Amino acid sequence: MNAMRILVRFKVTPDYEALREADWAAGEGDCSDRSGAAEADARAGSGVASGVETRYVPRILDCFDESALEMALRMRDATASDGVPVDLGAISVGGREVEPHLKTLQALGYERATRVHVDAGLDFAPTVTASIIARYVQETNKTDLLMLGCRNGPDDAGTLPFLVAEELGWPCVTQVTEVMVLSDDRVRVAHMVDDGLLRVTVRLPCVLGVGNAVVARLRVPTLTARLARREAHIEHVQTSDLGIDVVSGLAGESYVLTGLEVVRRDRSGTIIGGQTPREKAQTLFDSHLKSLMGKL
Amino acid sequence: MRSLVVLDGTVGTADRQARALGAFLRDGSTGHPAAETLVFFSDDRDMGRLVEQAPTRGVRLVKTAERRPDAIVDILSAAARDAENQLFIFTGGYSGTELATRLAHRTGGTVMTDALSIEIGPERLTCRRPVYSNHMVGSFELAARPWCVSIDVSWDDEAAAARREHVVLSSTDETGAAGGPDETPFEDLELVEPPPTGDLEQSRFLVVAGAGAGSRDGVERIAAAARRMGAEFAVSRPVAMSAWAPMDRLIGVSGTRTAPELCIVAGASGAPALYWGIEKAGFIAAIDLDERAPIAKSADAVILDDGVAVIEELAEIIAPKRE
Repeated sequence: MNAMRILVRFKVTPDYEALREADWAAGEGDCSDRSGAAEADARAGSGVASGVETRYVPRILDCFDESALEMALRMRDATASDGVPVDLGAISVGGREVEPHLKTLQALGYERATRVHVDAGLDFAPTVTASIIARYVQETNKTDLLMLGCRNGPDDAGTLPFLVAEELGWPCVTQVTEVMVLSDDRVRVAHMVDDGLLRVTVRLPCVLGVGNAVVARLRVPTLTARLARREAHIEHVQTSDLGIDVVSGLAGESYVLTGLEVVRRDRSGTIIGGQTPREKAQTLFDSHLKSLMGKL
Repeated sequence: MRSLVVLDGTVGTADRQARALGAFLRDGSTGHPAAETLVFFSDDRDMGRLVEQAPTRGVRLVKTAERRPDAIVDILSAAARDAENQLFIFTGGYSGTELATRLAHRTGGTVMTDALSIEIGPERLTCRRPVYSNHMVGSFELAARPWCVSIDVSWDDEAAAARREHVVLSSTDETGAAGGPDETPFEDLELVEPPPTGDLEQSRFLVVAGAGAGSRDGVERIAAAARRMGAEFAVSRPVAMSAWAPMDRLIGVSGTRTAPELCIVAGASGAPALYWGIEKAGFIAAIDLDERAPIAKSADAVILDDGVAVIEELAEIIAPKRE
């Protein structure tokens, strides 16, 4: 039986919750002077995309990508004894910040680990990112099933799985919450749609965009597993190897970010006083909630 | 120049789509060219209702296979070959994102999802949409046409669904274009559940638990207090990811958006990704130990204390009054 070759794309993002209010405010304003080619140069030179300084913020695995990575491991585990062999690969487009994550994934059993080296920020360039991933899949011809998170990065537009699928000419299912391997060329997928949860069998190759899956956390490898794979090779790919010119791709993006504004959410924030939880609860009820009870 | 509004009546959300698209056309777009609605349907019995719901006067009916977005994209791609059709507007949510993205890719146009507003100029379309996990709103200029815009899911207005006069401009049957079972990679479709979060979306009284609850036990105590008060119960993403509560309780950017009269947030910092799910609440009370947490500024009333302890006390006070 042929192995099912799964490639999971992941992104390492700044932890936006670690940014201070002042950092967001500093990023506000007109970005139009940094559009088009100027934006591409700025991104390539500084790594700062479009105004918000995130370089000092800790990097984390995007949460939807994390689900996809763990989901693929569970597909491999589920078929390990008597099912379809599953071959796992992981890919990320970015700088050195992705390398520790690739090492972790190797220790967890990802046989192939690839970093496509890009200096420029691709934060608001889903088309360029999609081209890179799709071209890698086409050039290597080692992928039956491509998995990735539904939404990520500052752009957060939810377009990437569809763009990659369109580039490849593959079918695409997004908001995936469960996947089961049926055979080496079929998977059974549960995914959220606007009017419920749909189960569907999909013939491979295909792209799966992972959404709010119950499988949310990536497992942690043992020290033994880490040591065993510490010399494992990480494949480094240049975008030029894939025939992609990132700078001209960025300049040619069909939309540009021209401005940013902080979303103001301030309400009165009245502090409710009291000595004990009971006192505070009673004060909150008497001063505010009592009058709302009739509306509930 | 014409804009085409896409109403997908082959799925079960046509009512909501019509309300949202109507509200967006009325309040979310300026400089709008003449608009028509493309209504997709798969069951003849739905046709009359869908025409009545269309948010524009002019309606074009297209019969197609059920739950086949690929077929709809093919039909829209053909429509985009008419140079007059330069703007396509889709509903918010999953299907709107898919249709807008795939259409833009196939036609060499530009996709923009989650639109809060658009401004249409002779050469460019300007669009505002949330970015950075809802911390900020970005303004974008779109160049290449057709512009394929899906609207933000916050667009919804009962009043926008009011009936108006409609004119059916054309009616075509494209069911054959979807191809037979051999031509699709999808098999054995089964809609297994109604929307699991319906109770959250319609909630008037909501309690939200955050990671400040500290443990699964803490979250369950908050859930029990919510039940005693007759409130719906929801959680932040960190709680759902820790498997302290089911994913269908998730609220925020990646979960459900609500507009309750009263929302009590216990032990959640109020990060924008969560706050997006409750920002339309009439009154927000927050319970958190950290006075510097974002929720302390974005709530109407704040108790600086342990979320579990206070919510249980509140349940003691409120439950008898709700019986």
